[in-house]
Amino acid sequence: MSIVEELGAQVRAAADELPVALVTEALDRLRQAADRLRWVRQESADPMGVPELSAATEHAETAGHTLRVAQDQFAAYLAAIGLAGDGPPAAGQPQRREPTDDQPTAGPGAVPEPRGEAGPVHRWWSVRVTELTGQRDSPEAKPDREITDAEDLLRRVAERVRADDRGQLHAQLRDVPADVGLGMAAVAPPMLRDLAAELLGHPPRAQDLPRLRGELTGKARDLLPGLPAEVLETALSRVCRMPPPKNPTAPPHPADPAVAAGVLTGLLLNRLGRDARSVAAQTLRESDG
Amino acid sequence: MASVAELKAAIDAALQQITEGQTAVQAASEKLTEAQQTLAGALEGSGHETVSAAQASLSQASQELEECLSATLAAVEQAQLYVSTL
Repeated sequence: MSIVEELGAQVRAAADELPVALVTEALDRLRQAADRLRWVRQESADPMGVPELSAATEHAETAGHTLRVAQDQFAAYLAAIGLAGDGPPAAGQPQRREPTDDQPTAGPGAVPEPRGEAGPVHRWWSVRVTELTGQRDSPEAKPDREITDAEDLLRRVAERVRADDRGQLHAQLRDVPADVGLGMAAVAPPMLRDLAAELLGHPPRAQDLPRLRGELTGKARDLLPGLPAEVLETALSRVCRMPPPKNPTAPPHPADPAVAAGVLTGLLLNRLGRDARSVAAQTLRESDG
Repeated sequence: MASVAELKAAIDAALQQITEGQTAVQAASEKLTEAQQTLAGALEGSGHETVSAAQASLSQASQELEECLSATLAAVEQAQLYVSTL
């Protein structure tokens, strides 16, 4: 085994051993506990820890998502140094769930293509973005090398939202690497909550959900006509620290919460009369705080 | 109409599930710390932007797990406080 192969094996093993399964297990337990406490709350006006438990669940969800993003990023790195796609996940590790609309070659254990090359992983992202925005697919579209982090993408998405240009929004989202797009689900929610607090004049709470729906839902649906309604409702519920609505259908497509969070952030910035550069300023404030 | 005993039993069951969740979060945090150390050692000297982004993702995941644990502690406190008033 060469030195570079040894390095790749070490990185791949560590990335495969990231505790995604443990976080999922924690999430299951916390959700079960929240369901029980919500049942008890039907008998009492006391919140008895349900809002705190909802916040805990949200943090666990974000942690799980961020770990999966990190796995994709490490895989992208390995691909970039010429070690793409050799070997299955480490023994005993859960295989990562891939979106159902992947190309057949991108099953569990597949890794993202190097940035700048169109491949199956980019393909599932771009296909879903096309569905969400209700636009036509462009087979000639290539991943955009310029955008390498989710905050930059969020700023660009906010600009497209401000311009109310669904075609440009589609092109912007479609062309980024999947891991960058998915990263919006991690960077946007804290901003969303801060911006909603600015709009409302206080931290968002349960009773603010109808107002936020009224302010944002219509415009979000105009920009993302293919987005399932429950994804939007879940995003707004989380802004208000409310449990997500009961959803008997399948879990959302992995791209949906990320795209929804990005567009909602853009809509709130626009509603507050702030420009997209506020994304960077807001993030800086959060890291300072 | 539920009885106090039923309420207490339901809250106790929820607290047990929160405890199990906390155990899993703590185990995940420990495993994540180990992975961060391993990866930091292996990737020391790399200036690749994807490596920096991935390491930032791991730091964020770690922070989220910490905040998750804190929130569960607050939830437990509130639930126990309520039980004590029953």
